[in-house]
Parts: sequence; C-alpha cells; structure tokens
Amino acid sequence: MDLPPNSQTGTALENGQAELVVSLPRRFRGTLMRSVFREERLFLVLSVFIGIFSGLAVVCFRFAIDWCRIYLLGSGASLSPARLLLAPSLTGLVIAVLVIHVFPLARGSGVNQTKAALYIFNGYIPLRTAIGKFITAALAIGSGHSLGPEDPSLQIGASLASALGRRMRLSRDRMRLIAPVGAAAGLAAAFNAPISAVLFVIEEVIGRWTAGILGSVVLSAISSVVVTRWFLGSESLFRIPAVQLERPSELIAYAILGVVGGFASVAFSSAITRLRPRFRALPNWTQYFQPAVAGLLIGIIAVLGAPQVMGAGYEYIDEAMHGQFTWQMLALLAGLKIVATTLSFVSGTPGGMFAPTLFIGAMLGAAVGGAEHVVLPHLSGSVGTYALVGMGVLFAGFLRAPMTSVFMVLEVSGNYSIIVPVIVANTFAYVISRALQPTAIFDVLTRQDGLDLPSMEEQREENILRVEDAMQPPAGPILDAEQPLENVLRQIEESPSEIFLVRLQPSGWSHISKQEIRTKVNEGKGAHTLRSVLPMRQLPVLHPDHLLDMALRYANQWPLVPVVSRADLRKLEGVISESDILNRYRAFDEEGGD
Amino acid sequence: MTVREKLQGLGTYPTREPVILALLCALAVGAFLAVGGLSRAYHAQQQALADRWFTRGTVDLKDAHFDRAVADFRAALRYSRDSYDYQLNLAQALIGLKRTDEAYAYLINLWEREPENGLVNLELAHIAAQKDQTEQALRYYHNAIYAIWPGDQEVQRRKTRLELIEFLLDINAKPQAQSELIALAASLGDDPSLHQRVGDLFLHAQDYEHALAEYRLALKSDHHDSAALAGAGLAAFGLGRYSLAQRYLQVAVVANPEDERSADLLKTTELVLRMDPYQRQISADQRNRIVIEAFAAAGERLKSCAATITSSGAASLETLEQSLADNWAKMKPKINERDLRRDPDLAERAMDLVFEIERESKIACGAPTGTDLALLLISKLHEGN
Repeated sequence: MDLPPNSQTGTALENGQAELVVSLPRRFRGTLMRSVFREERLFLVLSVFIGIFSGLAVVCFRFAIDWCRIYLLGSGASLSPARLLLAPSLTGLVIAVLVIHVFPLARGSGVNQTKAALYIFNGYIPLRTAIGKFITAALAIGSGHSLGPEDPSLQIGASLASALGRRMRLSRDRMRLIAPVGAAAGLAAAFNAPISAVLFVIEEVIGRWTAGILGSVVLSAISSVVVTRWFLGSESLFRIPAVQLERPSELIAYAILGVVGGFASVAFSSAITRLRPRFRALPNWTQYFQPAVAGLLIGIIAVLGAPQVMGAGYEYIDEAMHGQFTWQMLALLAGLKIVATTLSFVSGTPGGMFAPTLFIGAMLGAAVGGAEHVVLPHLSGSVGTYALVGMGVLFAGFLRAPMTSVFMVLEVSGNYSIIVPVIVANTFAYVISRALQPTAIFDVLTRQDGLDLPSMEEQREENILRVEDAMQPPAGPILDAEQPLENVLRQIEESPSEIFLVRLQPSGWSHISKQEIRTKVNEGKGAHTLRSVLPMRQLPVLHPDHLLDMALRYANQWPLVPVVSRADLRKLEGVISESDILNRYRAFDEEGGD
Repeated sequence: MTVREKLQGLGTYPTREPVILALLCALAVGAFLAVGGLSRAYHAQQQALADRWFTRGTVDLKDAHFDRAVADFRAALRYSRDSYDYQLNLAQALIGLKRTDEAYAYLINLWEREPENGLVNLELAHIAAQKDQTEQALRYYHNAIYAIWPGDQEVQRRKTRLELIEFLLDINAKPQAQSELIALAASLGDDPSLHQRVGDLFLHAQDYEHALAEYRLALKSDHHDSAALAGAGLAAFGLGRYSLAQRYLQVAVVANPEDERSADLLKTTELVLRMDPYQRQISADQRNRIVIEAFAAAGERLKSCAATITSSGAASLETLEQSLADNWAKMKPKINERDLRRDPDLAERAMDLVFEIERESKIACGAPTGTDLALLLISKLHEGN
C-alpha cells in the first residue's frame, strides 16, 4: 500500500490541532494552508472525474452483463431448458476458478469491501479488484445467477476512485474518503438514482454527515448519473405505475405489507447468515464447485417454471408492477428468489444483493397488495403501488438502510404521494427486522469475514456524550484579570482548589495556580494587577453541546477548560478537566454504554 | 517524517495540479469516445434483436400463434422496453390467448401514455365489454371513435362505431344503437356494402324507416343486389308497407332463389295482401269472400288452440277461449255471402272477432303461421282505424 509522504499533515489540520500550524515558521505556515486548500479543491474536481470514470465503467459493466446474457442464455424470452441448466452451472465453474486463482477479492457483494477500504486499508482497493469484479459479476449475472449489478458497481466505482487517488498521491485522510466517493458514483450509475446512492453511502459506508465529504459524494454521484444517462438514456429501472391513496385507512394495508416484509427480511438474512459460514467451512476443493452447484439449482428452479428468478430480474419487477402475475405467483416468486439469491450469495459467487432485494420486495409487495385486493376490493392502491412500497420495505428490513429505503422509492417513483405508505410500511419492517435479527446483514457478513468494521446501525443509535454531561461548576472563585494580586490572594486563600479561572478583559479566559500567585506576591508584586503578571496563555472555550471527544483534545493540554454559553461567551456554564471527562466515560461504561 | 519534510511534499501540488487536470480531461475524453463506440455497437445489437423478435411476433400474431407471439414480443420488449408498438402487439397477443388481465395491464399503461390512441382505446373497450363493464366499454368505444388513428382515420372511426353499435345491440340498448346508427349513416358516402350493413343494423334496432332508406341507397348502385333487396323487403314488411315489401321480395327471390327467408316472407306478404278485406281496390263480393275465409281460419285457429290449452290445464285461458268460441259459434251462421251483403256492419264485426281470436290465440298458444299470421299482421295494420 503506498501512502503519500504528506499524509499526516492533513490529519493534523482536520483534527483541529491548529497549534501545530501555529508552531511552524510563517513561510511554512502559508505553504501548508495553501496546499491544504488546493488539495481540497483538487479533491472536489477529482470527485467529478471519479463520477465520470465510474459512470463509464458502470455503462460498460451493464453492456457486459447484457452481452453475457445474450450469448450464454440466449436472446429470446423463453429460454431452452438445456441453457437454463448449463449456463449458470458451467459459468459457475469458470467464476470459481477466477475468484480462487485470479481475483480473490472479487468475492461477495462489494459493500463491505468498500467499508473495509475506508476503515482498515486507508482507502486502498486494488484496481485488480475492480477488474475481477467486473468480469466475474458480469459472468455471474449474465448467466442467470440470482444477483444484481449495483453492489459490484459500487465496488468498481470505489476501486477506480482509489486508484485515481493513489495516482494523485492524496493525503491519507483524503484517500480514506475517496473510496466512498467512488462507491456513491458507482451505485448512482447502476441505480440511475443519485440521491439514493448518496444516502446509502452516507448511511451505510461512511456513517456520518460531514460537509466536506458530502460535496464530493454528491458531485461524483451526479456526474456518474449524467454519464450513464448519456449512454443508456434517462428511463428509470422500471415503468412506474400510477400511485393512489384515497383513504388514510388504507395505510393499514401498507402496515400489513410492512409486517410481512419484516418477516421476509428476517428469513432472507437468516438464510444467508446461517448458510454462509457452513458453505465456507466445507473442504477447500468444494469452493471450485459451489458456484456451479448453486447455478445448477437455480437452473432447475428456472426449468421448473420460474425463470424469473435468474439474473437481476428488473424486467420482472416491471411486470409485477403492472399486474402481469397473479398474487399467488408473485408470492411464489418472492420465496424462490430468496432461495436462489441465498444459493448464489453463500456459494461465493460475486454479485450484489440490491437487485434481488428489490425483486423480492416488489414481488412480496405486489402479492400482499393482490391478496388484499381480493379481500378488500375497494382498496385504491394498485398492485404496482404495493410493489413499489414493497421494494422499500425489503430495503429497510433486509439492508437496514431506513432512510435510503424511503428516498429510493421516492426517487425511483418520482411521486411524493407514496411517501406516507412507504414510511409506514418501512417502519414496521425495520422494527420487526431489528427485533428478530439484532445485527444487520452487512455487519454479520463483516464479522464472518473476521473483520471488525464499525456498525453504522449501532453508530446511529448509540448515545453520544457531550460536554454538558461531564462539566462541573467552578470549584473556586472566578478571578478578574484587573484585580491586584494581593486581593486575589486573599480571595483564594481559603479555597481548596489549586487552579483558578481568570476572566480577561474585554473577553477571553485564562488560568492561574494558587502557587503562581503566592510566588508573585512574595516577589513584592502584590500591587500589580493579575493581568500584568499573567503568563501569555488564553484558554480555548467549549460549549455544553460540544462532543466530549472534542473536549478531551483540549483537556489534556489545559488543566481546566471553561464551558461558556453560545448566546453569551462571557457567561460561564461550568468547567471541565481531563479527570471530569475520564470519570464520565467510566460511569458511561458502567451504565452499559446506552 | 517531520512536518517540514511533509510540507515539501505538499509543495509539488501547485505545479502538478494543471497537468493532472489536463491529463484527466484527456483521459476522460478518450474513455468517452471508447465507450461511445461500444455503446453504438451495443445499441445497434439491441435494436437488431428487438426488430428480429418483433418481426417474428408480428408473423405469429397474424397466424394466430398467440403463445409464440407473446414470447416474441416479450423478447422484443427486453431490448426496447418502452416501445409503444411492441407493447400494443403484446397486448393483442395476450388478448388472443384470453389473458385479458395481463393485456389490460399493458393497455392501460399505453392508454396513460397516449389516451388519444384509437387502437388502445378500442382494445380496452373490447376487454371492458368482455368483462361486462358496460359503462367503461362505452367510454373507451367513444374515445376510440374520436381518437387518432393511423392511416385512414375515417374508415377506422367508422369501423369502431360499427363495433360500438353491434355491442349496443348485443346488450339490447336499441335507442342508443339507433342514435349511433343515425350518426354513422350521415357519414357513409357511396359505398353500397356499407349502406347495406347499416341497413341491417337499423333492421336489428327495429328502425325500419332508416333501414329502408339505407337499402334504397345500397340499391342505387346495384339494383339487383339480392341481400339489399331482401333487406328492403324486410324493412318494408316491418313498416307494414306490404305492397312495397312484395315488390322487393319478389325481385330478391328471383335474384337469389336460395333465400328461403325472403321466400317465406314473400308468402306471408302475399297472404297479407290477399287476406286484407280493407283493401280499396277490391269489390264488395271479394271482400265478403275474404271475410268468410278469415272467419273460418280463425275458427280453426281457435279449435287447435283450445286443444293445446286444455292439455296444459290453464283455467283462465280456457275461460277466455271458451267465450271467444261461443262468440264465434254464435256468429258463424250469419257469416255467409248473403248476410254479409245484407248487413255491411256484419263484416266489420266478424273481422273484429277474427282479429281478437288471432291476438288472444297468439298469447295463449304462441306465434301463428300462414293465414293466421297474415290475419294478425292485418289486425296490426288496421289497429286504431
């Protein structure tokens, strides 16, 4: 892994350690600041290029998948049984050889690999991974394995971005951020939905909202979508049916969909998380045959009458949205897709889970909608509306990306009247899924891979400690900098504290110890004001809402840090010291951290 | 590494930046061109595949191989998802397979895209008609009539209106059918076959006046068109203009001797004309002979009908028939040429009884034939006189 020589500098600045800069000679200080701003600008420009290159790569990836499909399965709608059986199984053999011997990092969906790049490998993803992912995923999806192109696109984008960042010799912090920027571009291009891609990357990969990264992620996502639309047109993945919600009471019907979706999500994720370790525990030689066997079983499902489960299945989502299947068939397809995707994924075949999740959600939604229409014919929502909501439901329940799930449906449908049903259904699915499967699928997969990446879901929900949780009222009197030292000494003589805050005029804070004052008075400077003898040290100030982590940075340099009101910087709310912070953290651990 | 050393590394940025951006731009342009080439090849292949499957589908649809056509059009749609024609043809193939729900899903989607498309509206009307959704069917038929059609719009609109009329006649909405027919008749032009078809529909709607007018228009260009002659005869018959009906039917039977319906109708017409005692051109003796013959026929009708009623056991009808039989038997001795000549009102009373017998017998024993039918028609002809 090659790291640029200047990697540490950026970290120091972003960590707010301004004193590092302050301590440098003036000529170096100017150079450093200019360079940092230049890098920031360059990063933004680079984000656009990452978007363009990712978009181009994803366009090629789409072409490759379609070509594989045409040449492996045939160009017609009704496929021959021989091809249905042979194409996924023989291609599975080729994929296994490629994954084991040539592209070992191409295995899996790609989301966790991108997260690992961010948190473990300083943004490093080998370009070879992108090439491997491109080839193996195109072969897998094109030959009918039940996987989707979105997650591989995400990884291809991240890998391209990483390669570009390395070539540009970006700082370590920028390098860490560049993979998510590429990931957003890749996902946006694959989905043709930039907002959802940005949200997913923020929600699931980065896990935090910061203005610096948001700008780059948005730029890359938009530029990649522009490129994709340039070559593939601006049509959404599905033809969107008319959305209708005449009576609020119909939300109950969507809540039922949410409940069903929640259980389906748990079934799907349980199947994957339980079978994957068992497949991996099988003897090594079986790794060569696992994708082939999975492909054969999927082929059998197809020959038996459900070829819809093969590949990403977008055309069938489209058909489900337009009432092309009976509700019984839709329910069957949802179940079979869970089986097929589980087989493909646990066998180590490279490919994504987004498209299968959408497929299962759409089928399940349309099935529930269809069944509800049989029982309650007056429901105004079309089966297509339920399919659309169902996609969001599975996204929330299975992928555990609640915010992305809502915006994804909004962005794909382009219809804001669907927002209430989506929120209602997604909430039910998410809550049920959380209750029955506490750890999200991506986190389980990460842990199965032996990595300990931060769980975005846990991060979102963990309690944050702030300065107000640890600050204390000042132990001694607040000293005025204009007072004579003799008066000050009298004032503090009785106080048990050793360190005192000094209020500076017209503004600012400093501190002084009892010992320092005694020394000055003994030196005969009792008539001097406190300001005149005070060493040149101005304390930083904190506010009650600042994070405790941030306070720790200051507290280890200063014995006491004043906490002041944001409304009136002269109003002291309390003080905080390193021991206060550590005590609070200790107490927090004892409370269980929640 | 010290901060100063790191700063020296940073110092290379200002000089590198423009070069890097220029290189990236060049690379992006190159990649764009390369992907553009690939894209052209990809889209050309997709279009070729779409065309191939669509052509196959069209042939299969024409040959009524609907299942194959469905698969073909689905394949075509895979490569050109939004094609209006492909979706419309797929819907038609699905209709052919009686998978109307699936077809409806495609059609309604197409309708949302182009609500003014004639063919889509017509297909939706067919589906609604199949599902007995009369109101929707009428809406789509009317949409189709005023919609945009490829090719000769007038012809398509006329065909659609004809379908609508047939639908209305099927659901027995005759007044609506008549008004549509009148609107259609106004825009028919000179095509005799069309006039004849519209005449048939007017006949179906029991609008004999307009039917006769349409047949006459049809006969203008071909005086010997047997179907038009038969239709005109039927229309004239329906109007009670038996002499005119006789003329048309005679020619129709000559033109098409196999037309049994017209031959039967001609016989009835001739009977009506022969048995009508109120004709102006006949002498008093002739009229009296007709009255005697009609009276005898009514007596026979009464007898045969009474036998039927007795076997069925309907008491109220039996009483009514008995009272008519009594009246008939009471009048019977007077119905001879001498008494009829002596009492001019007797013929009138006798015919009134004959007409009553025929009307009641029709109710009690079903539709009459031959002379009885002729007498019933004559009674209708002179009703209210």
